[in-house]
Amino acid sequence: MPCAETESRLHAYFDGELDALAAAAFEGHLESCAECRAALAGLEAMRSALRAELPYERAPAALAARITAALDREASASAPHKQEPADELAADPLAALAALTTLAARGRAARRGRGASGRSTASFGRGLLTGAGGGLLAATLAFFLISPHLISPRGALLDDLVNAHVRSLLPAHLVDVESTDRHTVKPWFAGHVDVSPAVYDFTAQGYRLLGGRADYFEHQRAAALAYQHGPHVINVFSWAGEGALPADTTRNGYHLAFWEEGNLRYCAVSDTGWPELLKLVSLIRAAEGQESHG
Amino acid sequence: MTVEPSFTEARRARFDAEVLPHLDAAYRFARWLARSPADADDLVQEAMLRAFRGFDGLRGGDVKAWLFAIVRNCHLTGIAQRDRRGFVPLPEEGDPQHGALVCPAPGPESASMRRDEERSLARLLEDLAPEHREVLILREIEELDYREIAAVTQVPIGTVMSRLARARAALKVRWSMRSEEERDAMR
Repeated sequence: MPCAETESRLHAYFDGELDALAAAAFEGHLESCAECRAALAGLEAMRSALRAELPYERAPAALAARITAALDREASASAPHKQEPADELAADPLAALAALTTLAARGRAARRGRGASGRSTASFGRGLLTGAGGGLLAATLAFFLISPHLISPRGALLDDLVNAHVRSLLPAHLVDVESTDRHTVKPWFAGHVDVSPAVYDFTAQGYRLLGGRADYFEHQRAAALAYQHGPHVINVFSWAGEGALPADTTRNGYHLAFWEEGNLRYCAVSDTGWPELLKLVSLIRAAEGQESHG
Repeated sequence: MTVEPSFTEARRARFDAEVLPHLDAAYRFARWLARSPADADDLVQEAMLRAFRGFDGLRGGDVKAWLFAIVRNCHLTGIAQRDRRGFVPLPEEGDPQHGALVCPAPGPESASMRRDEERSLARLLEDLAPEHREVLILREIEELDYREIAAVTQVPIGTVMSRLARARAALKVRWSMRSEEERDAMR
């Protein structure tokens, strides 16, 4: 059994909680310590089994409808001048589901209608407030107020990616073409999207390729690959892009990891943990590297 | 063009866009806390309403961890109310009383998984102390990081780390016992 301090470091390393320096130091220790290597393998085996074996269910449609109706009642109670048609939704789960379905579309339409104002700017400003220091904040805000058109396209892309991810999670929206293996998805993309992304399955590593889908953003038909990882769905979007690659970020509880390969932009979106999302990214990049060199 | 949406409508739209997408995750977590699927439904609905009322307090923070904390608090409040003793403080870890909060058979149970229930990892998890089961679910299944788990369970990160190590050790013991039994059965 490793000593207590080494053990807590082992868990932190395993959970991706060590910074790069500490992780490298621990890897040095691993090379010389068979005990810790065995302990790490044990942790990995149990995690894989948990993620593969534990049952999970999605919230029933009836529950989603009940909650929507309850929220409608709550909202109308706090705004007494306006009567919301809450009972219609309560009586009809499908209507409530449809209401959920239109969310992403509504957000997009609203943004178009109001130009560069509205929710996307609001959340962009919030991100600045939490992320930047005071002086920088003032300078950035001034820049932001003077030239909103320079900033909003980036915010719009992040919104588009998150919206596309959320919409894909609705029943029957996840894939247009199911994957039996990568050879069913790749040819489908050829006829349905404007790009030809790398298609890989990583079932053995805990990321099962579910299939492909076409999404529309950045003025083109972008490709989306859906992976299942435990109860989480990961969407990997790809499109042809230019300009600065957006930085990895978290939006509305979803992590977005960006990278580029040739003239293609990629973004992996999910509510997995960061280490788990970045692991898929490195798997895809390693597979791409192998293909282009081998 | 329609008129500008009211403040209430804008707030609701923001909630729909930022919180409701995490309904499935909240439900999964609730299934591990609640006694039955019906209880999980009630728990999630209550939590969503509370989340909506407290939504203005959330400013660009971690939506999922915030929602999970509300689900968990609703669950604990519900237990306290069922005990009809008003407020019940959470027992300390290691307190022999902490078992009082354990529901006899929580966790998702579909017909398909009942078959191997006795041996399943889900069953092994259910046998763990609730704070051990919870930290394992949050880390290994929901993939929250230490900081987020600390926010959900309202304990310091150091406690999260020691709890997680103990939980993994406890599950490992049960799991290797199962593996041994399976090996014996093969002979």
